[in-house]
Amino acid sequence: MRLFLRQARPHKARLALGFLFYAGASCTSMPQLWVVGKVIDEGFIARSPRDLAAWLGVAAALVVLQPILWANGFRQFSTVEARNQRQLVRDLTDRLNTAGPAVRDRVSSGELLNLPSEDARRAARAVNDAGFFFNTLVMFLVGAALVWSIHPLLGVVIISGSLVTAVIAGPLLGRLQASQSDYRARIGDLSAHAADIVGGLRVLRGIGGDVLFAARYRERSDELRRKGYEVAGPSSWIHALRHSMPIVFVAVITWVGALLAADGAITIGGLASAFSFATIFIAVSGNFVGTSQYLVAAWVAAKRIVRVLRIEPDLADDGTARGGRGELRDPESGLAVPVSGLTVVVTAETAPAAAACERLARYRDSETVWGGRPLAEYALAEVRSRIMLLTDEDYLFTGTLAATLRVPEARARQAVAAACADDLASQGMDLVVEEGGRNLSGGQRQRLRLARALAAEPETLLAVEPTSAVDAHTESLIASRVAAARAGRATLVVTASPLWLAHADRVAWMVDGKVHALGTHAELLADAAYRRLASHSA
Amino acid sequence: MSTMETVRGRLPVAGPAAVRRAVGRLLAADPGRASAVLLLYFGAAAFSVSVPILLGKVVDGIAADWTTGQVHLVCAVILACVCVQFVLSRLGRLAGYRFGERAAARLRESVVERVLSLPLVQVERAGRGDLGTRTASDVNVVADMLRDNGPTVATLVIEVVVLYVATFVASPLLGLVALVTVPPLYLSARRYLRRAAPAFLEQRAAMSEAAETISASGAGARTVESLAMQEERRELGYARGQSMMDKMLRVVRLQTNFFTLLLMINRGQLVLVTLAAGIWYFQGGLTLGTAIAAITVTVRIANPTNGIMTQLGEFQQGAAALARIEGVNLIPEEPRDARPEGARLRLDGVTFGYGDGPDVLHGLSLHPAPGERLVVVGPSGAGKSTIARLLAGIDRPRTGNATLGGVPVYDIGVEELRRHVVLVTQEHYVFTASLRDNLILAAPDAGDERLREALRRVDARWALEEGLDVMLGEEHRKLTTAEAQQIALARVVIADPDIVILDEATAGIDPASAGNVEAALAAALAGRTVIAIAHQLQAARSADRIAVVEGGRIAEAGTHEELLAAGGVYAGLWHAWQGD
Repeated sequence: MRLFLRQARPHKARLALGFLFYAGASCTSMPQLWVVGKVIDEGFIARSPRDLAAWLGVAAALVVLQPILWANGFRQFSTVEARNQRQLVRDLTDRLNTAGPAVRDRVSSGELLNLPSEDARRAARAVNDAGFFFNTLVMFLVGAALVWSIHPLLGVVIISGSLVTAVIAGPLLGRLQASQSDYRARIGDLSAHAADIVGGLRVLRGIGGDVLFAARYRERSDELRRKGYEVAGPSSWIHALRHSMPIVFVAVITWVGALLAADGAITIGGLASAFSFATIFIAVSGNFVGTSQYLVAAWVAAKRIVRVLRIEPDLADDGTARGGRGELRDPESGLAVPVSGLTVVVTAETAPAAAACERLARYRDSETVWGGRPLAEYALAEVRSRIMLLTDEDYLFTGTLAATLRVPEARARQAVAAACADDLASQGMDLVVEEGGRNLSGGQRQRLRLARALAAEPETLLAVEPTSAVDAHTESLIASRVAAARAGRATLVVTASPLWLAHADRVAWMVDGKVHALGTHAELLADAAYRRLASHSA
Repeated sequence: MSTMETVRGRLPVAGPAAVRRAVGRLLAADPGRASAVLLLYFGAAAFSVSVPILLGKVVDGIAADWTTGQVHLVCAVILACVCVQFVLSRLGRLAGYRFGERAAARLRESVVERVLSLPLVQVERAGRGDLGTRTASDVNVVADMLRDNGPTVATLVIEVVVLYVATFVASPLLGLVALVTVPPLYLSARRYLRRAAPAFLEQRAAMSEAAETISASGAGARTVESLAMQEERRELGYARGQSMMDKMLRVVRLQTNFFTLLLMINRGQLVLVTLAAGIWYFQGGLTLGTAIAAITVTVRIANPTNGIMTQLGEFQQGAAALARIEGVNLIPEEPRDARPEGARLRLDGVTFGYGDGPDVLHGLSLHPAPGERLVVVGPSGAGKSTIARLLAGIDRPRTGNATLGGVPVYDIGVEELRRHVVLVTQEHYVFTASLRDNLILAAPDAGDERLREALRRVDARWALEEGLDVMLGEEHRKLTTAEAQQIALARVVIADPDIVILDEATAGIDPASAGNVEAALAAALAGRTVIAIAHQLQAARSADRIAVVEGGRIAEAGTHEELLAAGGVYAGLWHAWQGD
């Protein structure tokens, strides 16, 4: 609710104007039907061409005026709706900037796709639906008053008729939705099944199972069809009721009106316009139900958005210290990064070593110390600008190669050379990298991520398996070039490849998430278990 | 690992004529039900339109001093008509829903069937996104159209037609006057649709761009932090929001203009009919009752007309979705009917390049011996994966031959081919299904013991512990890369083909476990021809033969010892890799 209010506040004047236009449109719409009665009574029955012309003139004026007023109202509300969409996308952008990793952990990628598109659209719509609701309400009130003025009895019939229609249509519709939710869920299941088939199409065509999966899909599709048949029963009742209820009231109005007219209590024109009002109220009572449904959908979508906007960063950024210096140490694993040189972490299982790196780079809170002081006491911006973590999860955003590397060309070229990504750079620095690097092969992505990290020249670089998707020859080149390029700065690489170990200043051998032994590669090779892990000649 | 992922063909989209044919097919497939639906709708509309006609009778009756009894009688008839209308409309709806349900089922089943018979090369190229959208969300859009909007608009159209007929019945001249507004309505609707279609598309595109940017910001949240990209992401996100707003405002402008016109035309029609009725009434050509009947019928025309007009856009979207679905049918079938004699797989002097690109392979020959374990190594981009694709019959060489049992591999039917050759890549797909269903793909009749044996052979102890009934997939049991790899390999063991091609199949497993899986797999595939493509050298040493690929050619081939003795490329790589 607060989201809706916050969205409405900056547009108060515009919304007020919109309400005014809508009120005007309603006040010019309903009297048109009342004029029909006047035309019949004072024009037709009185056989007065002058009065006929006069009333038709009034009607024509209203016919021209009403759409213009309505359109202006619609424009106001829609403009606010469009601005709200923009605002929601902005809010999501800002939230991702402040609490990004926390959002990623708590919101699925599918949901994240839906939030700025479908959900934002639905939530932003609320204001327009509120406008429609208001418009309908005013139409209803003005219409009811005019019918009342023809004859109170007709007024009572038409108001109670609309109420009954709304009451019947509303709850019935609710029941329909309840019975449909199972059906909708099945549609979702079946789509997911189809998506699954497409996702694994390569396997199904290459190894087999296409016949099996086709048969299973047909089975489920048939089940859905049967379920659809079941839903068709109640659905058809409700649609027929919604469609026929108003006509029933038209018939009742006709009956009551005819008796009144026969008695002379109302004029023939009054009867005709009462009939017309009843006809138009069909649409009006339907609108109430329709807009309420949309408002409910908007509410649900807004709740989803608010949930994300409320996600706070995982890490408290209340440290203020700057200028960290000295060794970086994670007491939990015993892993330490000295101020300079290449440290290689050798481990049979990558995950615990990667977790230690996350603690060292403060992507999760820990007891890590930097130059004798807890890492958490430093400002997060300071930590981020000086310690960089490189993993295969690092994302490649869409953009040219130059934009991806984010540094002047000469420096970018050096980084590209060190990461052996020349095959990409040779296609030009304006080569476009698509979202997630999906137009590159796994090896190309990995080398580009490495080049980007090298180009940033962080004081401390922690790299987890930076060359796992690269061939031996290239890996060997990368290891020597990176070691040379980062001489004098701190670099830590998690890998068991001898090609990296050949350049290591020191090696930390990790077992079960703890540093088991420290030393040079040559020293550690004395241990058979280490040799099995870190030497391909064993 | 090659340039293959940079080549991505777009799937075709059907033209308007093909879409019309598709709609015709959907309707014609169930002619009995379709005509029953139409008949019921017409009946319902006819009975509902009798209400204003009878109102005219009442008016004339009142003028003719009817008794109350007569008024009661006619009004009772009106109410009876409404009841009949209700029954017919409910039956029509029921038949309409069922018709739509059947048509939707037929549509989605035929799409999935078609997708499952796509040529391999298309499957590889299309990428999941496009094909996935077509089989899932596009099918749903069209199905909703068939189930819901279709029947609704059909009732509205029929209602409008019946109402116009009714004005003619009441008074042919007034009927003509009422028709005067149809041409401008038609023209403005056409104009609106022509402009709105691209505007809606742009709006959708802006929305998916925003979605893509936001989800990229989410997926890359840590990267944003680590590279301090907040400012760029903010600018980009704000620009996406702005474009979403601009595109929506454009749609709103078009809608505002169209709806304004629509409202004016609808009510203008009423004024015109009333005017004409007045003139003719004064001339004595018309009773008051007929005039009122015609006027009140005209009042009613507005509602269904608005209903149709507001749904036009959705129909357009439905047609666009159907065009994409039909596009899948436009992919040419590959005639594949060659039958191999024996299981000798070989490449002879093949050249190949992707799309219009330069050659990736240059006259390369490779003759794996039956039962041998051949490892293909070489630097990234040397063409290793391309060799795998030619051997597996996915692509056709530009020149030279890729043959299995003497016939071109790419001419062998997929069902036949996969009994001989199976390609396993590093992309391991796990279906949202039970472990059993994930395994029995190639052998639907395989017993549980055979499945367990295969799991044992690939060292998947976790799977044996959890049992064959465990549900796999994102929202059930999520597998690690290594576990997914084991499933992929177990599938191959169960499929038991003559030749297995492993394209970096064990990349991405922890170094320690990779060894286990490879050893287990070697044992599991004993006696089969195994062609393993690798960028790491683990697998090379134990191979029967090693082929080194460089720059699209076989640089050297032989056993590990032979190549080391030769002191060529491989020897260099090996020494580097060992850390010598």
